[in-house]
Amino acid sequence: MVAESDVITLQMECTLFFENNPYAIETSSGLSKRLGRSQQVTERALNRLADMSILEKNGDGLRAIYRYRAPYVQTEVDLSAYD
Amino acid sequence: MPNTNAIKTRAIHTGIPGLDEILHGGIPPGAVVILEGEPGTGKTTIGMQFLVEGAVSFNEPGIYITFEELPEQIYEDMSGFGWDLRQLERENKLRVICMEPDILLDQMLQPNGIFEAVVKEIGCKRVVIDSISLFRMVSTQEHARNNVYTIRNIMRKHNLTSFFIREYAELAEMNIPFENYICDGIVRLSLKPLMEKYRKRTIEVLKMRGTRIMEGEHTYKFLNQGVYIVPSLSMAEDKTLTREKEVFSTGIDTLDELLGGGIPRGSVFMIDTNSKANYRYLMSSIYAQRIKDDDCTVALMSGNTPLDTFADTIELFGVSLREAARDGKAFFIEHYRRAVDSDLEKAMIRVDKVANDDYAQVLNDKLGPIFECEDTCDKRWFVYYDLNTIISERGRDFLLRYFAEEMSMWRSLGITIVVHCNFAEIGKETASFLERTCNGVIRTWVDGNYQYLQVTKSPSGRVSAPHIIANAPDEPFVQLI
Repeated sequence: MVAESDVITLQMECTLFFENNPYAIETSSGLSKRLGRSQQVTERALNRLADMSILEKNGDGLRAIYRYRAPYVQTEVDLSAYD
Repeated sequence: MPNTNAIKTRAIHTGIPGLDEILHGGIPPGAVVILEGEPGTGKTTIGMQFLVEGAVSFNEPGIYITFEELPEQIYEDMSGFGWDLRQLERENKLRVICMEPDILLDQMLQPNGIFEAVVKEIGCKRVVIDSISLFRMVSTQEHARNNVYTIRNIMRKHNLTSFFIREYAELAEMNIPFENYICDGIVRLSLKPLMEKYRKRTIEVLKMRGTRIMEGEHTYKFLNQGVYIVPSLSMAEDKTLTREKEVFSTGIDTLDELLGGGIPRGSVFMIDTNSKANYRYLMSSIYAQRIKDDDCTVALMSGNTPLDTFADTIELFGVSLREAARDGKAFFIEHYRRAVDSDLEKAMIRVDKVANDDYAQVLNDKLGPIFECEDTCDKRWFVYYDLNTIISERGRDFLLRYFAEEMSMWRSLGITIVVHCNFAEIGKETASFLERTCNGVIRTWVDGNYQYLQVTKSPSGRVSAPHIIANAPDEPFVQLI
């Protein structure tokens, strides 16, 4: 039985991982090794992030791969028209 | 249709200082090159520099695929060289992707898989895979070979020029690794002892299909802006001679290449031969080429070669010395009382009876009007000087006194001079004096069963490795191997 708090912690770790490595392409097995966490919990966390559209999931089962859907961020705005 | 054929000829510039020079321009497009070395030799840095230079300098976006290292670590490490990889990613000029080897292969094999999608998304031209050693570790030898072969084919299909990084230590005791046969090039990085207490980093191109390479190990260093390779046998360049100066061909293509195009006009070159070496075709080719290019020439004749023999040799190159003499384009300084036919006689400057003290004055009096003559004053002049004759007829002291002054005066007139001498016979001191006075030195010598040629000094700073002189059936009758 996986505790809900563990899954939430893993969701945060996974999000942070993809935020720092935005072009990583990972399976649950691969990411669990990178994070040093069990595959079972990592997979649940990844699926939840995919449900929330934070990650993109391709395929099913152990071969499913996950990529980050980087949120659109506007870093520069041209305000010259309002001068 | 994607290109699945052999590599095209236009070179992909790596942008890594020194490497393109070693590769005579760069890597053939679509080539897959193994970049191997022990830990700490800079494989990741060179791989990333190849991508950063491609993205920034040549508008060729790239993908770095890492199996073990996290991209965030690579971003951090490479920021030390001033490379903002995240910014390049935002500009769609770079992707640093981490994934497992089998996932990469899966995705590559899928039509419209993630790999293909990323290649299209950024218009990728360059790829680095770090490292293919992982394929060996996660599967059998046969599978690993198939996998690397498949990936190589996919790279070629998309015309992606790529570096496959490989750990060297693990392979040192193996037989020749299969990748060596599959890939188009091999570049090896090494750490070597230097002066007992130090280590130096060297790079060597062991193989590169589709381009010539500068063979041997070349030293490289990590500078603030990345890796900097110093091609071996490089010396300081003489900018006054190489900047915008015209060079002329020696008539021997391979020698022109060693000289960076040919002999710069207005320079003094020495050809140093040992007693066994045959320099006849080398010298004749240079001389004949000057006449062909409509230069005017002066030749100080050797005691061993009468003018008739010289004329016969030059004729092999399709040049008539008699005709050149008749046209006022060839003159000869003669120290010996040797008879010649009437065509050549009128071009002779005979100095056999001239004393050493009067020699410079007599020569200037005879050559001055020739250089300034209306027919030839707008011509380019070339002088061939046999110093062995000067030494044997006038002595070493005369040479030391006269040579630097005379060369300096002729150079000031923009005249190109090629001097022939035997350093071994004239002693170390005199040889080093002559070498200092000249802008370039070409040595040729016989060792064992071969005759060698090496450029040991040149205005471009380029010094060549020794080359074997081989016979050729046609003009110029010699080639450098």
